[in-house]
Amino acid sequence: MLDLFLQGFAAVFSVQIFLLIVVGVAVGIVFGAVPGLTAVMAIALCLPMTYGMGPAAGISLLVALFIGATSGGLISAILLNIPGSPASIATCFDGAPMMEKGQGAKALGVGIIFSFIGTILSIVALVFIAPALAGIALSFGPHEYFAIAIFSLTLIATLSSGSMVKGVFSGVVGFVFATVGIAPVDAIPRFTFGQVELNSGFSILTVLVGVFAVAEIIKIAENAKREHGALVQSVSMKHIKGFGFSWKEFFGQLPNATRSSAIGIGIGILPGIGAGTSNIISYIVAKRRSKHPEKFGTGVIDGVVASETANNAGIGGAMIPLLTLGIPGDAVTAILLGGFMIHGIQPGPMLFITQGVLVYTIFAALILASVIMVALEFYGLRVFIKLLAIPKHILLPIILVLCAVGAFGLSSRIFDIWTILLFGLLGYGFVKAGIPPAPFIIGFILGPMAEINLRRGLMLSDGNFLGFFTNPISGVFLILAIAAVLWHIVQAYRATPPRVVEV
Amino acid sequence: MNEIKKSEVLLGIVMLSAGLLYLFLTMNLPRKGFVDAAFVPYVLALAMCALGVLQMLAGRRPSLEVPSETDAAAEGGTADYRTVLKTLGLIVAYIALLDPIGFPIITAIYLFVQFIVLTPADNKVNYRAYGLIAIVSSAVIFVTFRYGFDLLLPAGLLAGIL
Repeated sequence: MLDLFLQGFAAVFSVQIFLLIVVGVAVGIVFGAVPGLTAVMAIALCLPMTYGMGPAAGISLLVALFIGATSGGLISAILLNIPGSPASIATCFDGAPMMEKGQGAKALGVGIIFSFIGTILSIVALVFIAPALAGIALSFGPHEYFAIAIFSLTLIATLSSGSMVKGVFSGVVGFVFATVGIAPVDAIPRFTFGQVELNSGFSILTVLVGVFAVAEIIKIAENAKREHGALVQSVSMKHIKGFGFSWKEFFGQLPNATRSSAIGIGIGILPGIGAGTSNIISYIVAKRRSKHPEKFGTGVIDGVVASETANNAGIGGAMIPLLTLGIPGDAVTAILLGGFMIHGIQPGPMLFITQGVLVYTIFAALILASVIMVALEFYGLRVFIKLLAIPKHILLPIILVLCAVGAFGLSSRIFDIWTILLFGLLGYGFVKAGIPPAPFIIGFILGPMAEINLRRGLMLSDGNFLGFFTNPISGVFLILAIAAVLWHIVQAYRATPPRVVEV
Repeated sequence: MNEIKKSEVLLGIVMLSAGLLYLFLTMNLPRKGFVDAAFVPYVLALAMCALGVLQMLAGRRPSLEVPSETDAAAEGGTADYRTVLKTLGLIVAYIALLDPIGFPIITAIYLFVQFIVLTPADNKVNYRAYGLIAIVSSAVIFVTFRYGFDLLLPAGLLAGIL
């Protein structure tokens, strides 16, 4: 392992990859910080630039963007009291009051350092858990993969929305779009309407760019005319030493940070929920466990620590199922999966055997990107604050053009640009109807995995469906999936008033 | 509340219709046996129809479902659909003209007009700055991708020069 790690670090310390990681983290921070811009957009936009690079360089850039964007949300959460992304909602609760009290620099310093700690702890978890899990997953056959795909789909569909019907529908529609193209096993064209372009189905990237970037741009057009420039408050850096907090405060927060990391990693591993949920849960837990819960919300560093550690800890957590099983937990990891595939890498247990060096290069890139994140946010904060003021009506059209370029670059077809518009409209419709888009994406990705493994599994068990239940691992996952649905139905039929997150 | 319920029922009808359409398309697929290429689409089509019916029923029953994002969106005032439609029209025109006119020219035009469309009501439209940003962005993107990343974006009218 150490040997592979050394090779990984040797790769990321090459001039090209090092520079790519610096640029990736910087761009990621901007996309995380500006409300309305997301990590998915950042990765979608930079993906076409990686087409011509080798896998190690391309993937390093993508994970750097991921880390930068996850952490960047804290800047606008503290300075503007607007979360740059759902992952930093809870950062506002105490970060903004700290800013009002004139402790903005301290809040930012705490946020940056504990983002780093959360990321590193989650990478440690990734490095130790992933290879072991990959070892187990090597023995998985079609039955297990079918069951895991169904379990993941069920989990994301039931967890991602208040309405299970809408969540499941979203997942099913994603699966439906994935059935377009040549069918597995039988190899007959399905739903292609005679269009040759549709034979290979929709590219996962056009779907993601459409649903998450183009839809977002259309949505912002709704309120563009009423938009007012964000008032960015200035942070006084006078008399601030280091990161603005004392060693005593730092050590006092370690139990909180450890617990929040565990929550972030655990939730990150589960498909369907990620940093958007874990930051709030870890904030609530930190408040309950605190000796002074009444001070939460008035501007204590405990709140910022809980939220920022947990959301960044989701990074390593989410990479575990992605790398070992090829299962993305949310939209960001879904687009990372798309990036992997473009570079000819199929995540899964075999990746650890056939491409061991690449896996450890990814680990090394994650670690290096975290260090660079701290450095950039510490020294470059003023620049990022300035960028928050770039008007949206200038930024978004340029992003749309870059989305179009990215789609075109997939295989030099205008057809793919039309596809992102189609999925943009669909994503916009979902937003208007209150249907969560994440299950759609996961349905689109895991659907084909479920179908092909269903067919293969049935061939192995001579057409007997019971094979999926008698196999112990697949049986457990299928029963868990059924239990998740039943539990949700029982919850819904208790007809309790809507649960509001208590903060 | 009544409005919300009505739209929830309407959504159920849309979901059911989508399911029926997919079911119809699936029925046209050639069959080879019970579990073949049409098996999963049948399951999905039936699931969509069932979910559509459930959504219609849920829309009729209050407080069963947790209110979702639509309600939150409604609070922020009515959406400005004119700007949305103008933006969509511009995007459609942009994609349609990308090949005949070429990336550099059409991108500059699209950006310029789109900037104007999205400019907030209380901001002044600065034509000169918008024009400059549009042309520079278009040129930078074209050159970077064409020469930096070997992506042959359509040059269109400028094919002879570039």
